[in-house]
Amino acid sequence: MTPSPGRSRAALTLVGLAVALALAIVAGVAFGAVRIPPAEVIAAVSRALTGHGGGLADAVVVDLRLPRVLLAALVGASLALAGVLYQALFKNALADPYILGVSSGAGLGATLALAALGTSYAARAVGVPVGAFIGAALTMLLVVQLASRRGRLDPTSLLLAGIAVSYTLSALTSFVLVYDRETMTSVVFWMMGGLQNRSWQHVGMLALMFSAGAVVPALFHRELDLMLLGDERAGQLGVSVERFKLVMLASASLVVAGAVSVSGLIGFVGLMTPHMVRLVIGPRHRLLLPASVLAGAIVLVIADLLARVVLAPVEIPVGIVTALAGGPFFIWLLVHKEHRR
Amino acid sequence: MSALSFAATTVGYGPKPVVRDATFAVAAGEFVGLVGPNGAGKSTLLRAVTGSADVISGDIALGDASALRMADRDRARLVGVVPQTPVPLFAFPARAFVEMGRNPHLSRLGSLDAADHRIVDEAMARTDTAHLAAERVDELSGGDLQRLTLAQALAQQPRVLLLDEPTSHLDLNHALQVLDLVRSLADEGMAVLGVFHDLEIAARYADRIAIVADGRLRPPAPPVEALDAAAIADVFGVRAVVRTDPVTGTVGITPVLRDAELAGERTGETIGVVCGSGAGASLMRQLAKAGHAVFAGALNRGDVDHAVAEAISAGRVDLPPFGEIGEADERATREGYERSACVIVCETPFGRPNLPNLRAALGSGRPLVLIGQMAEARDFTGGEARRLWDEALSRGAERVDSESEALEALARRLGTEA
Repeated sequence: MTPSPGRSRAALTLVGLAVALALAIVAGVAFGAVRIPPAEVIAAVSRALTGHGGGLADAVVVDLRLPRVLLAALVGASLALAGVLYQALFKNALADPYILGVSSGAGLGATLALAALGTSYAARAVGVPVGAFIGAALTMLLVVQLASRRGRLDPTSLLLAGIAVSYTLSALTSFVLVYDRETMTSVVFWMMGGLQNRSWQHVGMLALMFSAGAVVPALFHRELDLMLLGDERAGQLGVSVERFKLVMLASASLVVAGAVSVSGLIGFVGLMTPHMVRLVIGPRHRLLLPASVLAGAIVLVIADLLARVVLAPVEIPVGIVTALAGGPFFIWLLVHKEHRR
Repeated sequence: MSALSFAATTVGYGPKPVVRDATFAVAAGEFVGLVGPNGAGKSTLLRAVTGSADVISGDIALGDASALRMADRDRARLVGVVPQTPVPLFAFPARAFVEMGRNPHLSRLGSLDAADHRIVDEAMARTDTAHLAAERVDELSGGDLQRLTLAQALAQQPRVLLLDEPTSHLDLNHALQVLDLVRSLADEGMAVLGVFHDLEIAARYADRIAIVADGRLRPPAPPVEALDAAAIADVFGVRAVVRTDPVTGTVGITPVLRDAELAGERTGETIGVVCGSGAGASLMRQLAKAGHAVFAGALNRGDVDHAVAEAISAGRVDLPPFGEIGEADERATREGYERSACVIVCETPFGRPNLPNLRAALGSGRPLVLIGQMAEARDFTGGEARRLWDEALSRGAERVDSESEALEALARRLGTEA
């Protein structure tokens, strides 16, 4: 038996997803309050890349639309990556940044940073992601601590601890908002999950955090497969389970903090994208990891496009779109799965 | 040097010890079986080797290195485990599942090369799973999954193989196939330590057997020594007949009674039984279960009835194999029957050597219950047995056709006497 047929199929899947993502990005830039023909989008981007940019149309594409669409792609990729990691570590398709409380932790951290740092744009640009990461990491530590018994993590306790901590932190966030009305206006919209008024700075920041968070999981894709066999079996096959989990959780915290600090709380993508992709291509992380990242990016670019055009010129927070699409999809998936058995 | 050794090892979970001070070793090429009651800690001993249970004191060594201080990856190159198979939740292709066994041998950025694929091919061929390669593991039967798990462990190319009830999901054919394979792996030089709930299976395949009970491990010994009737009674609370299985030549174990059944309320009445050649085995078992003490007469060692009498602690006169009942034996036998409330004569064939049992029963003067007829096929004494039988009937013995009728007759007699 040779491994090549599986490999070429995997390559084909990834190329297909990459092409779909490129198309989604072009579409995302083309549609909006002003419609720009796709050919013009590509022309404007190439002009900007070669340093010949200029004019209002190019500015709309390059300075307004493109960063926003790329940011949507990065947020989707980050959430999907975190979802893949949590689901592998906890062998549970329900594990995602929200259930584990990591998003709420990042949200509280970001909110505190906003409240503390005032309105200085520069201070916020650095402070919010740092606050979000500290919030996410501390929350993960707390949840892991609460769920540990004799140095081992129990998956069920971990989910329960995550949910309990998540509620507490959301309540704390609300408390901060009620207390500090000035911060409230900007935070509430952000909390619903939105991508308005985002700049290249945000893109750069998230790209950095995503890359840093994706390197380790990409190198350890085999161990992620082994984790699906259960902690004990993974240990028998050579994985240092507890250490591996902590490293993976740190990576996940990093990408979640990045996503939350630029776009607030966006549900469904981290939970459902890996689940969908796994149903189609199977559970092996060598393919599941990149495919989920690409699929997450596609899903959020399209969701953001819908958020902008459905009630144009009014924009809906993209978190509402993903939640509206995610619920019914989840139900369909459940029924479909039942049906197949 | 042993491939796997426990040195005064206390294992458990957290600070709570499950098995204390276990000291034993498994050499390369040796197959050691762990048996014992449920919950005694057999699996805990296995799990401690790979760090899934805690070593509270002592050490576990793989070759000359401590398993406890070894990196997980290094240990996984030396030790393969076949756990009690869990239900897989994810849809890995079977071949990919077996390939996971190569994990500890692969470099960080590397993937399986031709040599790795050959090893995987061989592991699947030896476990008879090659035809499953493209199947999804979450859709396979428990038996297929168990053999794939063994293939996964073999793909690790371990020197030590740990098995936790490796045949619990397998039908008879596959169970024997897997154990034959494990046996040949041991013969090729692997050190095998396996937990078994089936004593006969363990005795048949293992070189030595260690019993784990009451938080202790009895040092491993060859099956015939480790699994004698006394050990089985002591460890499992089961009175069993242990003898050499005539087909496999290994230890055969027939449970007779549980201690709990023997410990029931005693009527105080001793019942005499005239038996031999297995004719009394079932009756003695039922009498003991009903709470009677039993006197079984003179019996030859090696006779099934002798083994059963021994298992239920029945009174008896022991004879050497094929030995005849001498005068002193006959007297002792008659005295035994005299102490009985009633004597039941089973459908034993009588010859010169055992005729004294029947004579002693008659001579005891106790009420007799005779089962069956004294036909020619049963009388190898040239009519002597027949004469005693008729004499018993003329003296008021009760003749019945079956064991259950005999038990009814007995109940009637004991009832009227009381």
